[in-house]
Amino acid sequence: MSETGVIHDIGYQRYEGPRLGRAAAINALYVHGLRAAFGLGRSAKAKIFPWLVAGITVLVAVIIAAVKSQIPDFTFGYVDFDDNLSWLIIFFVAILAPALVSRDIRSGVLPLYFSRPLRAADYVIAKFLAMVTAVWLLLGVPQFIMFLGAAFTTKDGFSGVWDEVQDLAPGWAYSLLWALLFTSIGLLVASLTGKQAFAAGGIVAIFLMTAPVVGVLSVLPSSAANHMAGLASPMTLISGVGSWALGSQIGLDLGRYGPIYGIEAFCLIAASLLLLLARYRKVAAL
Amino acid sequence: MSTVAMITARGLFGRRRALMLLPLPLLLIGLAAICRAYDLDPSQWGTAVITGLGFAVVLPVIALIVGTGVLGSEVDDGTLVHILTKPLARRDIILAKFVVAVVATAVTTSIPLFVAGLLAGSAKLGVALALAAVAGSFAYTAFFLMLSLLTRRPVLLGLVYILIWEGLLGRWVSGTRVLSIEQYVISIAAKLEPTTLLDPKVGVMTAVVMSVLFVVVCTVIAINRLGSFSLAGETS
Repeated sequence: MSETGVIHDIGYQRYEGPRLGRAAAINALYVHGLRAAFGLGRSAKAKIFPWLVAGITVLVAVIIAAVKSQIPDFTFGYVDFDDNLSWLIIFFVAILAPALVSRDIRSGVLPLYFSRPLRAADYVIAKFLAMVTAVWLLLGVPQFIMFLGAAFTTKDGFSGVWDEVQDLAPGWAYSLLWALLFTSIGLLVASLTGKQAFAAGGIVAIFLMTAPVVGVLSVLPSSAANHMAGLASPMTLISGVGSWALGSQIGLDLGRYGPIYGIEAFCLIAASLLLLLARYRKVAAL
Repeated sequence: MSTVAMITARGLFGRRRALMLLPLPLLLIGLAAICRAYDLDPSQWGTAVITGLGFAVVLPVIALIVGTGVLGSEVDDGTLVHILTKPLARRDIILAKFVVAVVATAVTTSIPLFVAGLLAGSAKLGVALALAAVAGSFAYTAFFLMLSLLTRRPVLLGLVYILIWEGLLGRWVSGTRVLSIEQYVISIAAKLEPTTLLDPKVGVMTAVVMSVLFVVVCTVIAINRLGSFSLAGETS
């Protein structure tokens, strides 16, 4: 029995290394979000759906590139590629957005994130950029495969390749537009609920239920309503912006309302981001 | 058993959750009403609203939310344990939940479809659409209920079924239509009230037999799965 107590030094230390700050936190969230988008660093089960979608898009691109190289008259542009795969993009967004934001709500890590130097805006920006990158990669990589197919089989030498590049650039820009709009809507819906299932269902419901509205508006007996029918659904909205800005052909007649499509797309993205910021002003501590 | 049903119903409709089921049916009624108000010919908008929105989106999506919600949310929360430990046959648990899910889906889908049918044609068309929707509710909810026991990601698989199987493949690959509930529903509705608005692609006998088969097989599998249900930890 010792008479005086001894406090042993068991080696606790303060952290004295460099503090990385906000930029590093945003970067970490971004990288983590992008990896999680494709299930990297997660179990095999989490990889099934993203890679299923990615595999289908790449497969479609390879088929198109092959057909294009055999049949010169086959006109299937980079822009058409996005339009035709819109269902897959919806599905991808419905998987991705809940995985990025709903999981954080469900597992109650938001208070932990926000007890760091990270601000709400940083969190939103990191998640938004990660998802935009993921969706853009989903579309941009197959487009690039199509480009490679066309570039290597061109018969005009460098000028042929240059023509393809000039086609590819607007195609990539168009994909970016898809990514921006779908990401902002998807993240907004997913941030409202902690249940991934509800979030996925809600996103799909929003995209699907707006499509028939376009069909109805386009048969109304008013030419203004017909021209602006595409505004009702995100898919046709993007097609409208594409045909206004890039001059691609869609089934919808825009009339002179093309700029309105551009304005609405911009406002929709901005409004979704602002609402997302407002939503993360306050987070429940579980 | 009635207690299980009551708990399930409260889980579905409790607090504000019932509001989640409202927007889709309201949109369906609203669109039909707008077209009717503009005095448009139903042949122009009927197919888009009834088939494109009603049977292709409203019915499956609501069935998906309800069908996976009745059991899946309890599996997620871990509250399923409390029900499983009660001296109840697991068959009864499934049946009670299935009945609640079917009633909820049928009510929320058949009413707007009836209204849409009424506005697009006659009350008879409305009744035919509503009955077809009820039949579809049985098949869809049985299928999604089974999914919520077979996998930890029932909603995603359900979306694959709705979007890719019925939406993408069902349009182009005729063989997949035999296993598409959407096509059964359209066939049944078209049989009850033949109209140009509906374009059935499978025979009505096939539709009825396959719908019943869907309900029975899925329910049996669900009962079987719940019988050997083991509690696992959080998935990836």
